[in-house]
Amino acid sequence: MDFNDARTLLWIASTLYGGALLAGLALASKERKLPALVSFCLILFAYSSHTRGLYLRGLEVHGCPLGNGMERIQFILWSVVTGYLIMRILFRLNLLGSFAAGLAGVGGALSLLSPGLDSGYWLEPGYRRLFSGPWIELHASVAIFSYGLFALLAVVSVMYMVQQKSLQIKRTGALGAHLPSINQLETASQRLLLVGVIFLTASIVVGSMHWTRSPDSVSSVKLWVTIGLWIAYCGLWYLHFRQRLYGKKFAKACVALFVLAILSLGFVRSAPERQETAPQPSVEDAS
Amino acid sequence: MPAEEPNLFLLGSSHRVASLEEREKISLPADSIDDFYKGLQELPGLKESLVLNTCNRTEIYVSGNGSPPLDPVREYLMNFRGLDNAFLEKHTYRRQGEAVVKHALEVTSGIDSQMVGETEILGQVKDAYDDALNRESTGKVLNRVFQKSFQAAKWARTHTGISRGQVNLGNVICELARRIYGEMKDCRFLAVGSGEVAEMTVEAFSSRGSQAITITGRTFDWCPLSRNKPSELAEKVGGFTLGFDSFKESLHLFDVVLCSTAGTDPILPYETVRKAIAKRPARPLFLIDVSMPRDVDQSVSNLESVYLYNLDDVSSIANENLKSRQAEVAKCREALEQKAGQIWNQLLFPSKPPA
Repeated sequence: MDFNDARTLLWIASTLYGGALLAGLALASKERKLPALVSFCLILFAYSSHTRGLYLRGLEVHGCPLGNGMERIQFILWSVVTGYLIMRILFRLNLLGSFAAGLAGVGGALSLLSPGLDSGYWLEPGYRRLFSGPWIELHASVAIFSYGLFALLAVVSVMYMVQQKSLQIKRTGALGAHLPSINQLETASQRLLLVGVIFLTASIVVGSMHWTRSPDSVSSVKLWVTIGLWIAYCGLWYLHFRQRLYGKKFAKACVALFVLAILSLGFVRSAPERQETAPQPSVEDAS
Repeated sequence: MPAEEPNLFLLGSSHRVASLEEREKISLPADSIDDFYKGLQELPGLKESLVLNTCNRTEIYVSGNGSPPLDPVREYLMNFRGLDNAFLEKHTYRRQGEAVVKHALEVTSGIDSQMVGETEILGQVKDAYDDALNRESTGKVLNRVFQKSFQAAKWARTHTGISRGQVNLGNVICELARRIYGEMKDCRFLAVGSGEVAEMTVEAFSSRGSQAITITGRTFDWCPLSRNKPSELAEKVGGFTLGFDSFKESLHLFDVVLCSTAGTDPILPYETVRKAIAKRPARPLFLIDVSMPRDVDQSVSNLESVYLYNLDDVSSIANENLKSRQAEVAKCREALEQKAGQIWNQLLFPSKPPA
């Protein structure tokens, strides 16, 4: 096992995230055989391996690793776990860690299992680096980080729906009793949405500076998809802030919008920068 | 073989062998504990003693030399409480040696309690042990047994499901409110009616730090008992009272509303609740209707952000939790038996390091 290989480390991270999910479920079960710290420690080890794996891939591609589907998924999943670890400081949401770890474990493993998603674009002749400048790199990484926060928002929304359903059907299932309260989940959703919107806005501001200098470098589809998504998330935040959309409908909207955001990733992918010797596709950012 | 085998005995009575009336006869009045201990310590052959006296059990743990000192203890209790021999024989139990350790572990863990897994007993045993320590009536045998029993109780609560879920109606309602609002201190509670369930729930909310408890109820000026009941309950927990005629206008100010009146007409029809929720659309409203006939129109459960539970719902959760606890008892008992065996071996062979 090569611990200096990015894919190996990402596989280790996925496996550990899977272990954290199982440990979390064991905690929520009636048997309760494991202490709460086990799941959290597994997440921390997985996160370290995940970070190191992305760092090594970043060194290989000479930039933030967002050049293919696997890298983008891994970066989003890394953002999900980062968001969870930050949120854990604010709220004691143990089961959110299990949900986030489950998403990171399953999503990470699926992205690694599909060879087509991890094309070795940096090995192609003429490849120089992934982004044409540091601002574009910042734009892409901040945008993908905001996707990670929206993914976490979707996870929290699913938890909200599970808790709400379990209260409505009046059953004391193991999961409902271990989930945070409806109010805590709604507050967490509100904060995640706000922070996600701030990051997405920042990424768009940085990206638009590049776009105003070279409008041809960004396709109109990408432009409209990005603006549409930004408007949708801003609208969602506004409706929730004005108490027009809340509760179950708000949670459903968060999940639906995240699905749309993931589907839109196909329209906003990047192409790496290559040496000037051969004609190459224009450099786009990876948001 | 051990040089000197420790003698450990128990004489006790609990809800398992005696009814409430019978337990009352055996139980030691609080002001007579001093006298009881004085006489107990003077009994021949008795080196250590500890008295556990709660509303559900009276148990005397003793350790002594030579012949079993239980007969003098039983005779002493019989004379002290003025009971006859046949009564005491019928409503008490005796344990000896390792069985005493096992019993102490089961009692402290709460699996021998009437309400399986209740945690109050641990505090009561700790108090009894502290009391015995202060009287210098315990020694190396009872100290070891009870210190180990506290550890075992903690283990049982952490590693088995004997304390999982609430079984008291007030606590069940509190737990449901926690799943909606989180912290109880931010939760505004209104009790409409001041019956037994209301009292139980008010106490449960108060003990969890709720600082906004309000009581209202139908009162009749000609009846002083009815007129004073909401005020008395409010005063008990440092809460507020609200006029029954005006509480509907203030409904939107509360998060949890418990209805337990004895009226024949619903006091919270659909329109009243809908208007209240419209004033606070994003904040959920938790309604508990334990009245018969019902106080809350059942169709309000269709409103977004309204959670309506009735007495059957709350009782079935309590029963489900109780069943779940009882299912864990056998597993817990088996584990405690092993622990009791280890503790007993440590008492028999004190020089041998524990496994």
